Amino acid sequence: MALPRPLRMSISPPELELIASEHLIEIVPLIAMEKTAFISGAYGPLRPPNKCRIPLWMATNLKLKKKCHIVSPDWLSVDFLQERLSEETSQQGFSRLPFRFAETAKVVLDVASDDVQDAEKIRSLLKDLREARQAKSRDGLSQLDHSELSLPNLCSMEINEIRPFFTQAMDVFTQLARQPDADNP
Amino acid sequence: MDNDYFSIDAILAENQKIQCTFKVDVPDMGHLGGGSDRDIKALTKVPIPIWLAYIVLYSDWADFNIPAPFGPRVRNALKAEPRSVKLSALVGAGGLWYGFGKMIMDILSEEQANGMSEVLTQTFRGRLTEVIDQAQHFATLGPAGGASSDAAQFREGLDVTERELFSLVQDSAKRTKLWFEGNDRARR
Repeated sequence: MALPRPLRMSISPPELELIASEHLIEIVPLIAMEKTAFISGAYGPLRPPNKCRIPLWMATNLKLKKKCHIVSPDWLSVDFLQERLSEETSQQGFSRLPFRFAETAKVVLDVASDDVQDAEKIRSLLKDLREARQAKSRDGLSQLDHSELSLPNLCSMEINEIRPFFTQAMDVFTQLARQPDADNP
Repeated sequence: MDNDYFSIDAILAENQKIQCTFKVDVPDMGHLGGGSDRDIKALTKVPIPIWLAYIVLYSDWADFNIPAPFGPRVRNALKAEPRSVKLSALVGAGGLWYGFGKMIMDILSEEQANGMSEVLTQTFRGRLTEVIDQAQHFATLGPAGGASSDAAQFREGLDVTERELFSLVQDSAKRTKLWFEGNDRARR
């Protein structure tokens, strides 16, 4: 048990970002490259004016060397996010978003904010979304009991954030609840 | 809070004393009650720690009363407003109110145990949101309110179980916040 306690209970946000970096994203390359084999698969070939799908980590790398433009995903747009935000504030459940939207959005906005239209507006929309969803998962706390909790459409970053204490709290509930057949098994 | 042999929390919770009324004479055990009597006479009341109480109670040598931290006064206070009761003050330093309660619950008979479980669960649920809210506030903005505010009072009254939860929330919120605000573009 050499790991610090928080790391034992869940993985860290940078690790989640690493996992999200395996997802494919569209780019417009500025250099030509033959089809190349990596451990996770073969990507390419890159032919400059044509779009190509490569993993996010590779796109980040190329982008930082100014060798491609990242095409921002459909959902990373003001219209889409605005719609989700109004859904989020008007309806009870969580709105549907890509499972790893927080990680992907952050990476894309960090390295390629010049390729995204209205990057600032999107940033603030994402922040609003996060706050609205946090408020909802907080409400989920009051429904917590020892057996189950259902929060559909929760995304990986949010799950990861609430996992340590939701599980701990449920553990306590389990301890405090009477097992009906504890005395006569 | 589990009854695991190696659980430090369980050992600490077992150290709490409960009032037992002996039904039989027990020779040469007067020191248990801390008195100077040589024997324990029937019908004397002796506070003994839970780890010892198990065998005494199961052997039917004594009866016990539900201890004060779970008595009617506390129950009524909890029913009125779970967040205003200082759980840590009820069971002494390093208080394990829930752990202690769970142990009492396990000794009690069916009906009383159900009532006890109800009280513990309701209390935990009633206080949970406040614990989480404060911990998140702590992680992002620092302490909420001054030293004498309601929030500070509430924090002082946290039971060990809740304290653990508090630090978990704080850690998790801090890490996530750090990631959201950080930008390690230079490293790549």
